[in-house]
Amino acid sequence: MTVAERIATYIANELLGDPTTTVAADENLLLSGRLDSIGVISLVAFIESDLGVTVPPEDVIIDHFISIEAMVAYLAQREDAAPHA
Amino acid sequence: MRFLLPHLIDAAAERSPDQEAFRFNGTGVPYAALASQSNRLAGVLRTLGVAPGDRVGLYLPKGLEAAVAVYGILKAGAAYVPLDPKLPAARLHAVLNDCGLRHVVTTDALRSRLDGLAATTPLRHLVGPTDHAEAAVPSISWSDVEAAPDRGWSAAGLTGHDLAYIMYTSGSTGLPKGIVHTHASSLSYATLAADVYGLRADDRLSGFPPLHFDQSIFDYMSGPSVGATTVIISEGHMMMPASLSQLMADERLTVWYSVPYALVQLLLRGALDQRDLSSLRWVLFGGEVFPPKHLRALMLQWPQARFSNVYGPAEVNQCTFHHMDTPPADDAVLPIGPIWPNAEGLVLGPDEAVLPPGEAGELVVRTPTMMQGYWNRPALNDRAFYHRPRAGGRTDLFYRTGDLVRQDEAGTYWFLGRQDRQIKARGYRIELDEVEAALLAHAAVAEAAVYAVPGPNGGHQVQAALLLHPGPAPTPREILAHAAQNLPAFALPARLDIIDQFPRTSTGKIDRRALRARAVTTT
Repeated sequence: MTVAERIATYIANELLGDPTTTVAADENLLLSGRLDSIGVISLVAFIESDLGVTVPPEDVIIDHFISIEAMVAYLAQREDAAPHA
Repeated sequence: MRFLLPHLIDAAAERSPDQEAFRFNGTGVPYAALASQSNRLAGVLRTLGVAPGDRVGLYLPKGLEAAVAVYGILKAGAAYVPLDPKLPAARLHAVLNDCGLRHVVTTDALRSRLDGLAATTPLRHLVGPTDHAEAAVPSISWSDVEAAPDRGWSAAGLTGHDLAYIMYTSGSTGLPKGIVHTHASSLSYATLAADVYGLRADDRLSGFPPLHFDQSIFDYMSGPSVGATTVIISEGHMMMPASLSQLMADERLTVWYSVPYALVQLLLRGALDQRDLSSLRWVLFGGEVFPPKHLRALMLQWPQARFSNVYGPAEVNQCTFHHMDTPPADDAVLPIGPIWPNAEGLVLGPDEAVLPPGEAGELVVRTPTMMQGYWNRPALNDRAFYHRPRAGGRTDLFYRTGDLVRQDEAGTYWFLGRQDRQIKARGYRIELDEVEAALLAHAAVAEAAVYAVPGPNGGHQVQAALLLHPGPAPTPREILAHAAQNLPAFALPARLDIIDQFPRTSTGKIDRRALRARAVTTT
């Protein structure tokens, strides 16, 4: 699964409790009401544990989390910035 | 003259037409434009048949349109009824019918939920969405409202006793109850709060609470009463503390009012070390208990700001406050303060005996900021007030808060808990009996017990234990999804256990206290 699919699956299964629902990559999750403040905290924790990325509080901003697309872009940018082992 | 809420914005428009009344996502609406746009909306509503005494729904995300809509509805002589866009359909349906909403201001994105309810509610017309032929309910678009003529506004035929808004909150029976405020009660609160907190025209208020939350009256009414600017905070910012703190810094907010939950999120996740929030001069919080260790940390973070613990049910808006002199110790219990001006408080014991300081009882309050009553609920209204006899056959009307308090010798009140099974979570009222009723509505559930345990960051968390009927067993998630058809999301249990047998009291009742104690020790 791609990063986008993993996040979409997590939102559908765990946050919305409905595996049959689809979450489009460009859906504005903050306006659609499908995420709430507790959902955001859970989602950040999922991303940190599932993808092994640390997301500092100052990075949890609208631009990075407004949609799955935005999250993927943010995570890619984090990966580019990370020093390669 | 100001005896109606719209007088606040019209007076500000005359004094300082270019001063911004509201801002949202970087755009502002000056008082002159707000006065004019609300005139246009009022005219459109009147054309659609809205008459004084009517109720008009507000089913909108946060934004400048919502602020225009509040004042436009009021200028049409109607009361606004704010509806949470996240309400489950069954609850939305109940509210539309309960107060007979024929007109609702909404958006293209939200209209489909209303169209679906058209057949079984009085709904006749929508304002805001683009009209289209297949829609169940006709609508007039927001751009048509903006293009409508501004014919000014007249207060003729309206008085301060007319209804201003009806705010729905959880009721223990499962049917939400509408708190009815008049222009007089809300204006009384708006101007009193502006005086108490020394609001000025150069203040910039945080529009954090949504309109269906009673704290919003401060932002939407007290701010305009002094010609200040209220910065409406978007749903996205409400969820993203680091974005919110950036907005607070960029907008140079001076006065903040919210539930403690929002401030705790800012403290824990708001990257506050990286933000210049030196403009903040007063932080008001209320609606539930602020965990002292977080309050202490926040007061140390913003030493220039004054902090006040604000108390009052939506039925009276507010009635006490406690100014914090110093950051509290970790184990401190904060008082809710003395009764504030233009109000009288009493502590009642059993049999309505007035108790002296030092004794615990129910707080009852008499004040012009008090609601008129609950919409269309005579039985509830009989119980909601205490009547104190006075000379000449008169009585004084006190609202019964249901909150247990004790007053000390200095006149300061201390909150001790509730008389009933209502709790607060993130500032929202939750009636535990209503949650039980919603769980029991699932055919497989035989018995349900719902109880509150301390939440992770202060406040309460709702948990439930269920006993199922013999037969195929649904999963906890299926039961929750069923309950979510009737309950708002904030009231859904965070944890639901299916158990084999309940602990019982000697009389055979479910021992909720034992369940709660067990939950506290295992989480």
